[in-house]
Amino acid sequence: MAYSFPDEVLEHVFSFIQSDKDRNAVSLVCKSWYEIERWCRRKVFIGNCYAVSPRMVIRRFPEVRSIKLKGKPHFADFNLVPDGWGGYVLPWIAEMAGAYPWLEEIRLKRMVVTDESLELIAKSFKNFKVLVLFSCEGFSTDGLAAIAASCKNLRELDLRESEVDDLSGHWLAHFPETCTSLVSLNISCLRSDEVSFSALERLVGRCPNLRSLRLNRAVTLDKIANILRRAPQLVDFGTGYYAAELQPDVFSNLAGAFSSCKELKSLSGFWDVVPAYLPALYSICPRLTSLNLSYATIQSPDLIKLVSHCPRLQRLLVLDYVEDSGLEELASSCKDLQELRVFPSDPFGAEPNVSLTEQGLVAVSLGCPKLRSVLYFCRRMSNAALVTIAQNRPNLTRFRLCIIEPKTPDYLTLEPLDVGFGAIVEHCKDLSRLSLSGLLTDHVFEYIGTYGKKLEMLSVAFAGDSDLGLHHVLSGCESLRKLEIRDCPFGDKALLANAAKLETMRSLWMSSCAVSFGACKLLGQKMPKLNVEVIDETEPPDSRPESCPVDKLYIYRSVAGPRFDMPPFVWTMDEAVRILH
Amino acid sequence: MQKDGAGRSWGLGQHRCMELQLGLALPPPPLIPIETFDLNSYGNYETREALGTNALSWPLLKLGPADNDINNIHHHNSSSSSSSSGGGAGCKKRSFDEAPFFDEKRNVPKTLHLLLWTNQPNDEDDDPSNVLHENSSSAIFKNDGEGLVGWPPVKTWRKKVHHQIPNGGAENNRLPAVENGIGGRASKSTYVKVKMEGVPIARKIDLSVHHSFEGLTNTLMRMFGISDGNRKSFKLTYQDREGDWLLAEDVPWRTFIRSLKCLKLIRSRG
Repeated sequence: MAYSFPDEVLEHVFSFIQSDKDRNAVSLVCKSWYEIERWCRRKVFIGNCYAVSPRMVIRRFPEVRSIKLKGKPHFADFNLVPDGWGGYVLPWIAEMAGAYPWLEEIRLKRMVVTDESLELIAKSFKNFKVLVLFSCEGFSTDGLAAIAASCKNLRELDLRESEVDDLSGHWLAHFPETCTSLVSLNISCLRSDEVSFSALERLVGRCPNLRSLRLNRAVTLDKIANILRRAPQLVDFGTGYYAAELQPDVFSNLAGAFSSCKELKSLSGFWDVVPAYLPALYSICPRLTSLNLSYATIQSPDLIKLVSHCPRLQRLLVLDYVEDSGLEELASSCKDLQELRVFPSDPFGAEPNVSLTEQGLVAVSLGCPKLRSVLYFCRRMSNAALVTIAQNRPNLTRFRLCIIEPKTPDYLTLEPLDVGFGAIVEHCKDLSRLSLSGLLTDHVFEYIGTYGKKLEMLSVAFAGDSDLGLHHVLSGCESLRKLEIRDCPFGDKALLANAAKLETMRSLWMSSCAVSFGACKLLGQKMPKLNVEVIDETEPPDSRPESCPVDKLYIYRSVAGPRFDMPPFVWTMDEAVRILH
Repeated sequence: MQKDGAGRSWGLGQHRCMELQLGLALPPPPLIPIETFDLNSYGNYETREALGTNALSWPLLKLGPADNDINNIHHHNSSSSSSSSGGGAGCKKRSFDEAPFFDEKRNVPKTLHLLLWTNQPNDEDDDPSNVLHENSSSAIFKNDGEGLVGWPPVKTWRKKVHHQIPNGGAENNRLPAVENGIGGRASKSTYVKVKMEGVPIARKIDLSVHHSFEGLTNTLMRMFGISDGNRKSFKLTYQDREGDWLLAEDVPWRTFIRSLKCLKLIRSRG
């Protein structure tokens, strides 16, 4: 029995249990396990920074070394969340500065990070090692300079896809000469043409454990060779510019530098590619498992040539310049492919500018037996194609299809694509993420509610006929955690009939739907564990009749109660707070 | 002010259009798994059953305009085929007597509801919020003529980077945008219209991926489906800033790229 083991023994056993879910389960066994577990939990993941307060986390887990926080809803990536909505990390840093002096790792996604926060991190955590800012904003290179200067054991600095106020390229020079600990550096999001290249070279040269380096655009092609020669142990490399006038000596220097990187498995960057320089990569292509060409405006023939040299490719991100022909080549060359993302080169053009259709995706689904994750932008689709994909790839776990024109029907039959997506959810029993597009009726939601038992995240746009659609999803999808909906005729009924379901999910986003202000108020008042936020930038929602639909609605479960950092255009439906607001 | 069965009072003011019942104080039980969900009792699926299919083999794959019977399976009894015109109003709302969802005899998930999902006739048509939605849905479709906000769902980061113009590098790629002074913020800065003589619909081509007349011509031939044999009978012309039409081949690539506004393929005579 548990009481016969000393705490240290249990703690030792628990140290082998790393996943949050397992840790949560351990803590529910009995009070003493709860106590022991909470003192030895080192890593915390908070999927919504407003679901819990920093103090609550600190109270329960006093010895945390690593924290991961997410802020804004996913649709913030597409400009649907107005600036100033929230997601500020400073309150968290401020509390942790006092409570977790030994904090080593901070990973943030979609949060607002200020220079002040960065300076506080630099000052407060003596053993700080890892800073990952994924899709964050609000800081400048001054804040980065503080981190570089103060964090003596910094291992990872990853700014992927963040918006940085690039004031000066000299922040890199703030890394002291004694800093040799870097393992990962990702500055690909920095946009200015200034980068202190010599500081970068020296930094790279003195960090023997550097495994991942992603440069920004400012680093020109001729400089790549210099960097690579100083870091032949790299496993993951992001180029800067990959364009220049073709010069034989530059080419051979580059090819030689790449071939000296025997561990290189992953490549990215490739802004502005001159195809003539792609063969410089051929020596490492046989080892490549991950290739991100999603910024490379190179045409299908060049892509085909490159991809045909990469038989071990597991992950490919590419623009739709790859076309159906390129995807057919991919399907025949890359049998290890697990993840494919095809982005639109001309998302706002009215007509197709490339020959990329559903055929490309069908080809890959037929030819790549390990394909699990798909993100595909295209302009036409058919139920037959989707059914084929579903039947061929029941091992899909993530399927995100974006047919660029909203409400596009099956181009062969002009019917809705209900049956096609229905086949996807029916055959792909482990599907955890799904994004819908095209013409869709309530039927598709019926299929999703019936078959999508493992579905955790669903994205819906311009679909459905009535509340029945939403009701199917909320009542049927047992594993649903995140639901985001825009421009669908879903109103109050489904939401109110499934109010309790919302407490089992992380969040629900609905914009340009038909949920009335009155229903929002009711939900807010009757469901104390939900924060119901109405976002309206034009006028207060109570200046109109209660039956009027709200513009944007974000509902999330929280034990922290309503937040107090809301901007004027966000209203919570908690009665007491509304009076004060 | 109305009181519910437990004597709690709740006032909701003007909520006449919704019938609300507060779920009583029992904690919400876990969702009952709906393996017992019986699709066959839905009106539409009886036709599927009649065709002798089992769950794994539907939907039938014989799709095509000629297969009218099969096409009809997937439609509502009352609504017509959702047309390709893309209008949201084309899909009729299903009335609740066609969808006997809430049926006490079947196991349905019990959730704490603030609204009982009933099979009362659909009163949504009388719902004023519905009217508002009908009006607003067309308004929200276009955002001041600039297209939909946040659609297609391409990350801001990706849009910006894709069209960002750096200061150096391969010159041919970005001259049009730089010269236009737009600096790449307009998403269409490297695209120009291309027309072919005799073809009513114009196409668009991305100049930033071309570095020579040869490459550009190849793409255009492919775009308009002109075979190699017929290439010689077409000439590429362009309209420059001043509005004059010139032959593309007569000028160097750099000049061409800098000054062109749109392209046209004409049949060469003689």
